[in-house]
Amino acid sequence: MFIQSCFQKDGGRHTITKTDDENQDEHSFASEIYKGTSKEETVMKVNHLRVVYHTDDNETVAVEDFSLDIEKGKLISIVGPSGCGKTTILRCLAGLLQPTSGEILVNNKKCVSPGSDRGMVFQDFALFPWRTVRQNVEFGLEIAGVSKGVRKERALKYIKAVGLEKFADSRIHELSGGMKQRVGIARTLIMHPAVILMDEPFGALDAQTRNIMQEQLIKIFEQSEKTIVFITHSVDEALYLSDRVVLLSKRPSIIHQIIDIPWERPRNRADPEFTNLRKKILDYLAGQNVIG
Amino acid sequence: MKLRYDVHNKYHRFAIRSAVTVASLIIFIYVWWIAAMLANKSVLPTPYRAFEALLHLIKDGDPVQKGRTLWSLIWLSILKLGKGFGLAFITALPVGLLLGNFKLFREFFSPWIEMMRPIAPIAWAPIFVILFTVGNGPVMVVFIGIFFPLLTNIIFGVQKIDRTLVDAARTLGASDWQIFTKVLAPSAVPYVMNGIKTGLGVGWMCIVAAELYNTTLSGVGYYIKFMIDCSRYDYAFAGIIVIGILGFLTTGLAECLSRVVSKRMGVDIR
Ligand SMILES: Nc1ncnc2c1ncn2[C@@H]1O[C@H](COP(=O)(O)OP(=O)(O)OP(=O)(O)O)[C@@H](O)[C@H]1O
Ligand SMILES: [Mg+2]
Repeated sequence: MFIQSCFQKDGGRHTITKTDDENQDEHSFASEIYKGTSKEETVMKVNHLRVVYHTDDNETVAVEDFSLDIEKGKLISIVGPSGCGKTTILRCLAGLLQPTSGEILVNNKKCVSPGSDRGMVFQDFALFPWRTVRQNVEFGLEIAGVSKGVRKERALKYIKAVGLEKFADSRIHELSGGMKQRVGIARTLIMHPAVILMDEPFGALDAQTRNIMQEQLIKIFEQSEKTIVFITHSVDEALYLSDRVVLLSKRPSIIHQIIDIPWERPRNRADPEFTNLRKKILDYLAGQNVIG
Repeated sequence: MKLRYDVHNKYHRFAIRSAVTVASLIIFIYVWWIAAMLANKSVLPTPYRAFEALLHLIKDGDPVQKGRTLWSLIWLSILKLGKGFGLAFITALPVGLLLGNFKLFREFFSPWIEMMRPIAPIAWAPIFVILFTVGNGPVMVVFIGIFFPLLTNIIFGVQKIDRTLVDAARTLGASDWQIFTKVLAPSAVPYVMNGIKTGLGVGWMCIVAAELYNTTLSGVGYYIKFMIDCSRYDYAFAGIIVIGILGFLTTGLAECLSRVVSKRMGVDIR
C-alpha cells in the first residue's frame, strides 16, 4: 500500500485528498513494499551492494545488502540510524569505494571508478581553499581541458544560479557555511552529471540556513530536472524534499523500506500526513538506535 | 564623554613591544660589556671595540687582505647558502612528495632518514671538504642541513592533506596526475614553506661552520677564522655580529613569506 495522499493547489490553499485507506496502522506501514514505476528511465542501478571494511584486527560489515533503481528526474533520499553505512553506500555510488560484492550500473554500464557523470556534494564542502569561488566552480571544466574563456563564462552562469555573483572572486574562507555549500553545488552542477550524490549536504548548517538551502535545492532540482541521491539525518528534510525515501536498518544495513512520496511541492510541514509519516519513521529509527 | 586611555589599542601595544625590545638589546650589550671587562682578555673584546671594528669593516673592508669588502664576503656566503638551499629544495620536494604519498616508500626509507637526521650537519664538514673540494664542501654541508627539515616537513604536509579534497577532485574527473598537480602539490605548499623557514635557519649555522674549514678565501665564516688566526679578535667579533644580523634577516624574511603564502593558499597550519 502506498501513501497516496497528495497536495493539490486550490486557490493558494492546500487541500488534502486521501485516496488510500484512512486508517493505516503500524503493521501496514511496515509491510509496504516497493513497487518500482517501471515506465521511468533508470539512470543508475545498484544490485546487491555489500561492503565489508577490514581493519587490522577485525572486520566490519557496513552494508549487508542494498539494491536500488535510481530513476531519472527523481530526488531520492536515504535515511537510517547513525553509522548504518549511508556514507559508505554513497561513496560506492560515486566510485570512490569498491564494494566487496554487488555491482553498480550507470546507464547500463558497470562503473568501477569515479567519473564526472556522477557529481558529489560533501558535508564539509570539500572546497579548494587556495582557489577563489569561480576557480572552484571551474575545477571540473579545467580538468576536462575546456578553454579559459568558456570556462569562465559557464562558471559565472552557475555562480549566478546559486546567487553568489557578488562573491565570484572571493576566497573560500571569506564565505559563510551556506555560501560554501552553494559553491559546492555549483561546482557539481556545472559538470551536468547524470546523478548528483549528496552526503548530508546541509548537515553542517544552522536550521535557518538549512531551510533556505532546501528551498534553493528544490528550485534547482525542478529547473534542471536533475536526478539526486540525498543522504540526511533529518527525517523532516527527507520528507520535505524527496520523491522517494529509502529507510535503512541499523548496521549491517539492509533496506527496511522504500516509501514513495507523491505530495506536490512545495510541501507543508505542518500537514497531518507529513507529521504522521515523520513520526512513524522516527519511531522506527528510535528502535534501531544502537545507543538507545 | 570622558576620554580614556585604552591600554589595548595597537599603538600602545606597539610602544610596549618596542620598549621591551630596546631594553633587551641594551641589557644584552651591557652584560657583554661587563663580561668583557671581567675577562679582560683581547679574545673577548668589548662591544665598543667590536662595533668600531664593524664600522671599519663596512667602510674600508678587510683590514688584512686589502680589497675585500664586507659585501663581497657576505655575497660569497649567500651564494653558497643559495646553492645548498636550491639543491636541497629540488631534491627534497620530489622525494618528500613521493614518500608522503606512498606508504611502502616511506616505510623503506624511514630508517635511512631517522639515522641520518640526528647527525649534526657540521660533523660532515671536514669530510665534505675533502670529498667535494673546499669550494663545494660547505655547499654540501648546507645542503644536508636544509634537506632533512625540508623533507620531514613535506612528508608531514602530504600526509596531512585533506582526503576529501582528493575525493572531490576524483568525482570531478581528475586523473592521478591532475590530482597530484592540482590538489596535492598546492596543499603541501604551506608545509614546504614551513620547512624552508627552519631550513634557512639551520643553513646559516652550517655555512659559517663549514667555511671555518676552508683554506682559501671564502665568505664570512672564513673571514672570522682568518681574523682569529691573526689575533684580530675585534674584527672576528664584527664578523660574528654580521652573521647574527644576516641570520635574523633571513628567518624574518622566510617567516613573512610563509605567512603570505599560507594566506594565499587559504590554509593556516599553525
Ligand atoms: N574506513 C573505514 N574503515 C573501517 N570501518 C569503517 C570505515 N568507514 C566507515 N566504517 C564503519 O562502517 C560503518 C558505516 O559507516 P558510514 O560512515 O558509512 O556510516 P553513516 O551511515 O554515514 O554514519 P553517519 O550517519 O554517522 O554519517 C560504521 O560502523 C563505521 O565505523
Ligand atoms: Mg555519514
